[in-house]
Amino acid sequence: MAEKKRTILRTDKLKAFYILEMQGTQKIIKAVNDVDMEIYENEIYGIAGESGCGKTTLLKALFNDIVPPLRLVSGKIYYCINWDKEVDVTTLSPEEKRQLRMEYISYIPQGSMSVLNPVLKLKETYKDFIGSHLSGQSQEEIFELARKQIRVLGLPKNILDVYPHQLSGGMRQRVTIALASLLKPRIMIGDEPTTALDVVVQRGVIQMLKMIQENLKNTIILVTHDMGVHANIADRIGIMYAGKIVEEGSTEQIFGQPLHPYTQFLINSLPKFGDKNMRSSVPGNPPSMADLPAGCPFHPRCPHVKEICRQEMPDFCYPDENHRVACWLVGEGKHG
Amino acid sequence: MNFVKRYLIPRLIQYLLVIFLGITAVFIIPRLLPNDPVNTMIGVMQARGQQLEPGAIDGMVTSLKEMYGLEGSWWEQYVAFWGRLFRGDFGVSFFQFPTTVNEMVGRAMPWTLGLLLTATVINWPLGNIVGGLAGYYSRKPWSRVVDTIAMIVRPQPYYIFAFALLLILGYAIPWFPVAGGTEIGRKIAFNWPTIKDILRHSFLPALSLVILGGAINFQTMKLIVQNVNAESFVQYAKLGGVTENRIVGRYVIRNALLPQITGLALSLGQIFSGALITEIVFSYPGLGGLLFNAIVNGDYNLIMGITVFSIVGIATAILILDLLYPLFDPRVRYT
Repeated sequence: MAEKKRTILRTDKLKAFYILEMQGTQKIIKAVNDVDMEIYENEIYGIAGESGCGKTTLLKALFNDIVPPLRLVSGKIYYCINWDKEVDVTTLSPEEKRQLRMEYISYIPQGSMSVLNPVLKLKETYKDFIGSHLSGQSQEEIFELARKQIRVLGLPKNILDVYPHQLSGGMRQRVTIALASLLKPRIMIGDEPTTALDVVVQRGVIQMLKMIQENLKNTIILVTHDMGVHANIADRIGIMYAGKIVEEGSTEQIFGQPLHPYTQFLINSLPKFGDKNMRSSVPGNPPSMADLPAGCPFHPRCPHVKEICRQEMPDFCYPDENHRVACWLVGEGKHG
Repeated sequence: MNFVKRYLIPRLIQYLLVIFLGITAVFIIPRLLPNDPVNTMIGVMQARGQQLEPGAIDGMVTSLKEMYGLEGSWWEQYVAFWGRLFRGDFGVSFFQFPTTVNEMVGRAMPWTLGLLLTATVINWPLGNIVGGLAGYYSRKPWSRVVDTIAMIVRPQPYYIFAFALLLILGYAIPWFPVAGGTEIGRKIAFNWPTIKDILRHSFLPALSLVILGGAINFQTMKLIVQNVNAESFVQYAKLGGVTENRIVGRYVIRNALLPQITGLALSLGQIFSGALITEIVFSYPGLGGLLFNAIVNGDYNLIMGITVFSIVGIATAILILDLLYPLFDPRVRYT
C-alpha cells in the first residue's frame, strides 16, 4: 500500500454538459462539472451517488464516449496507454477511439437490459465483438478463445450456442462481463452491473468481477448506487453529488470516517445488524443539474449549512493521505 | 413431433378454413349484385339489334341459365360449384362464351406475375437497403436528399404519378410505348424480338410500381431503423467498438427487417389479385383488368376464378411466412 500507485486514467477539470436546444432556448445540464480524478492501476474504484447525480454521464466521459447531446465543454481525459506516456483521448479520431474499446478499456452494461442482439446466437455476438478488434483471426480461433474463457469463468459450456432471450438476467450479465474482459483490457467500466439482479445473483456477479480483476490485475471502475456493493468490492470510492466528486477516499476511510455530510447520510442509511432504529434518509431531493444552487450544491439539504456554503463552492482539502473532501465544515482555513 | 401436433396441424386446418370461408364469400357476394348476368346478356343481344320474340326470350333465359350453371337454388349451385372446383374447373366465362375461365386466367396470369413479381423483387430490397442506410446515417446530406425525394413522391396518388410517367416518358419524350403489353398483332413466341418488345412495354408500368413501392419501403424502413438504432444492443455494440459495417448490417438492418418481411409476404400474396390501376393507366393486360370487367358484367365464374387464386395466394403467403418466421426471429418459436 505504501508504494505510489501508477495512474492509468486521469481527468483534468473535466466538464461535460448536455446541451439541449428546444424551440430556440438552450438548456444546459451540467452532468459532469469540474471533475478531477486519478484512477490507479490494479484497483477497483467505486463511484456512488443518488440517481441523477451524473454517475452514468461521468462513466460515458471516462469511456470517452462523448456524443451529442453530451458535449465536452472543457477539460481533458488522459489514458496512460503506454505506461509513461499519457494520451489525451478526447482528441483521438473515431477509428482510434473504436480500437481502444474492448482492447484497452471495456464497458460492462447493465445486462438485464436488451444489450445483446436478439437475433444472433451468442457466438455470433462474440464473433462481431472480437472480430472487430483482432484482425486475422479465423472464426475457429475466436471461438476457441471464447470457449477457453468460458471454462475459466465457469459459465455453462453450451452458452455460445444460445440466443440471448434463452438466458436469465444473471447469466446475461455474466456474459457481458465475460465479453468485456475477453481481450484483457487494462480498464473495465461497469455501469450498474449488479442492479436489477437479486442479491444471490449479485453476489455471484461481484465474485466474478473480483476474480477477473485478480487475474488480469487491471482496473475496474464501478458505478452503482448500492453502497453495499461498494463496501464489498471497491478499493477506493468517489462520492458524486450534482456532477461533482464531493468526497473520495479508500473504502475504509469512506465507511469509517465519512466527512462530507452527504456521505454521512449515505452511510447512515445502510441497515446494520442488530440496530432496529429507523434509518434516516437524505432530506429533500437532488437539485436539477440544469439549475444548480449557488455555492455548494448540497447546501439546501445540508443540516450544517453555514453562510459561506451558500456563496462559494469549497475546494478539496486532504484530511488524510488519499482522502479528499470538498466541504466547508472540514479542514477549516485550508481551502484554497 | 410436438411442433407438428401442437402447431403445424392446427395451423394447416386454419389455413384450409380461411380458404373455405373466403371462397364461400366469393360465391355469395356476386349473387347479391343487382346485375343479373342472364338479363345483361339478353340486353347485350337486343342492343346488337337481334329481334327476340317474348317466347324466345323465356327459352333463352332457360338455356343461358343452364350454360352458366345458374340452375336450381343457391345451395344446389354451391354444391355443384365445389364439385367443379375440386376438378380444377371454374366453368366458362359468361361474356366471352365459350372461353373457359381457366384459359382466360391462364392468359392474364403471366403478364401480372411477370410485372408485379419483378416490381416487388426490385423495390423491396432497394427500398429497404437504401432506407436502412438512410436511417442509420440520417445526418448525412445524401440521406436527407433521398428522404426529401421520397417525401415528395410517396404521397402522390398512384394514378396521377403513373399518368405523369406515361406523359413524360411515353408521349413528350417517346422512349417507351404508351399502351399495351406488346406491339399490336405480335404473336407471343420465345424469341429475342418478342422478349425485347415485352420488356419495352412493361418498363413504364414496372417503373411506376418500383418507384412508388420503393418509396413506401424506404420511408417505413427509415423510421424502423431510427428506432432500432436507439436500442440498447446497438448502443452496446458501439461501446464495444464493433466495426460500423457490422453494426449497420447485423445489428440495425437485420433487426429492422423483421416487420418488413411480413410486408413482403403480404405483397407477394396480393400479386394474384393484379394491379388494376396500373393495368388501366398503361392499358396493360393482366388479372386486375380482367377482374374489373368480370365484376362490371356480373361474370360470376370469372370473378370466382380470379378471386380463388387471390385467396389461395394470400393465405399461402401468410402460411409460408408463419412457418419461416422463426428463421428470421429466433424469439418466435412453435413448440
